[in-house]
Amino acid sequence: MNELLPAYAAGSLPAADRARVDAHLLGCPRCRADLSTWQALAAAAPPVPGAAPRAPEAGRMVREVLARSTLEEPVGRPRGGTPTRRLRHLAGLLGAEARLIRLAVPIASALVMAVGVAVVLVQADLGGPERIADVALALIAPIVAAAGVSGTYRSARDPVAELVAATPTSERLLLLVRLALVVGYDLVLALAASAVLTVSGAAGTADLNTLVSAWLGPMMLLTALSLLVAVRFGPDVALGVAAGLWAVRVLAVSVLTADAWPARVIVPAWSTNAPVLALSAALAIAAVLLAGRSEPHRDHRATHPL
Amino acid sequence: MGSDTELLRSIAAGDATALRLLYERHSGALFGYLHRLAGDRMVAEEILQDTMLAVWRSAGSFEGRARVTTWLFGIARRQAHNRLRLRAGPPPAEMSDRPDVSTGPEELAIAAAGGTPVAAAIDRLPGHHRDVIALVFVAGLPLADVAEVLGIPVGTVKSRLFHARAAVAAALAAQEVPE
Repeated sequence: MNELLPAYAAGSLPAADRARVDAHLLGCPRCRADLSTWQALAAAAPPVPGAAPRAPEAGRMVREVLARSTLEEPVGRPRGGTPTRRLRHLAGLLGAEARLIRLAVPIASALVMAVGVAVVLVQADLGGPERIADVALALIAPIVAAAGVSGTYRSARDPVAELVAATPTSERLLLLVRLALVVGYDLVLALAASAVLTVSGAAGTADLNTLVSAWLGPMMLLTALSLLVAVRFGPDVALGVAAGLWAVRVLAVSVLTADAWPARVIVPAWSTNAPVLALSAALAIAAVLLAGRSEPHRDHRATHPL
Repeated sequence: MGSDTELLRSIAAGDATALRLLYERHSGALFGYLHRLAGDRMVAEEILQDTMLAVWRSAGSFEGRARVTTWLFGIARRQAHNRLRLRAGPPPAEMSDRPDVSTGPEELAIAAAGGTPVAAAIDRLPGHHRDVIALVFVAGLPLADVAEVLGIPVGTVKSRLFHARAAVAAALAAQEVPE
C-alpha cells in the first residue's frame, strides 16, 4: 500500500487506486503519517513552491520556434537530413531553376534541332549523300548545347540575378542544377533527333550508336568549354568563343585537306572518345569550382557610376 | 483537434497550429519539470524552446510505440541534459559532501529555492533523484510513465523516490528543522 502513496500525493493515481488508498488511510495512522511526508515533498517540489508553474505564452513560443527552425541548421545530424529529404530538396531546386530558365532558350534549341532533322529527312528523300545524318547531327547538337549553357549562365543584367544572389543555396550548387537541366534537355533533344533519323531510315546504314557517337563527344567538349568561359568572362564571350571554335571545326572537316596536320589535330579533338570526355568533365568541374569562388557579379556592384 | 498522436501527425505535415495546441496541452508540466531540473526560469524557458524546436523538426519520427507524453518528456530531458551539461560550473554537490550546514550561505540557498527548507534540500539532491522528484511531483506523471521516460524499471523509480525522501529527511534533521 505504501508504494501507492507517492503517486497518491502527486495526484497521478488512477481513480480506482485512489479510492482504495482513501479507504485504507481511514484505518491506518502509519500510512497517514507516511503520506504527509510525501505531501510535504510534493508541495516543496515545484520550482516556485505552492504555485503551478507558468510556462511561456503559447503564441510567443510557437513564433520563436518557427523562427529558429528557419534560421538554424539542425544540430547533431548531417546537413540536409535524411536522403529522402535531400532528394526532395534537390527536386525542389530543379523545379525552381526550371521556372527561371527563359522559355526562349529551350524552344530555340528544339527548333534548331527540328530544322536539322527536317533537312536530313528531305535530303534522304531526294537521294542525297549517304552520311548526311551523322554529319548534320554532329554539326548541330554541340553548338545548340553550348549556346544553351552559355545562355543560362546568368549575367548581372538577368532580372532574376538578385533573387538568385539572395538565396541561401550556394552558387555552385545552383550552377550544377542549371547545368543538369540544360545539358539534360539538350541530350534528350539530340537523342530524340538521332532516334527519329534512325527509325525513319534517313540515317542510311548508320545505326543509333554511330549517330550518337558522332555528336556526343563534341557536344560535351564544346559545352564544358563554353561554360568555363561563361563563368570567367560572361555569357556573351562564351557564345562567341563557342561559335568560333565550332566554325574552325566545321572548316577543318569540309575545307581543309584531310591529310594535312591541322585537320589531323582538330578532327580527333572533336569526336567521341575517352580523352575528350575526360577533358570535358575536367573543364566542367573547373567551371563549377570557379563559379563558387568568384564574388558574384563583381563587375556590377550595387552602386556604380552612371 | 483530436488526440496527441493526431496533433503530432499534423505537426509533421508542417501545421503550426497543431504545434501550438500540443504546447498548450503539455507546456505546464514540461515547463515545471524543466524549471525544477534547471533551477532557473530563463534557462528552463530556453530548454523548453529547444524541446519544442526538436518536436517541430522530428514529429515525423514519432512511431507511436511510446505515448506522446513520455515521448515529449524524453525529448525535454535530453535537451535539458544537452544544455545543462554545456553550462559552466560544478555539478550539484551530493548531500554527504555537506555535513556542516550552517548559517549564512545556507539561508541564501533557502531563499533562492523559494524559501522552504524542503525545497532547498530537494535542490541539493543528486541529479537522478531530482529527476524522479520532478517527473513525479512537478510534472505529475504516473510512475509507469516516469519509468518509461527514464528508461528504468518502475521498481527503480520507487526506490529512487524513497531514497530521495530519506535524503531530504536527513538533510532537514541535520538542520534541526522539523519536516
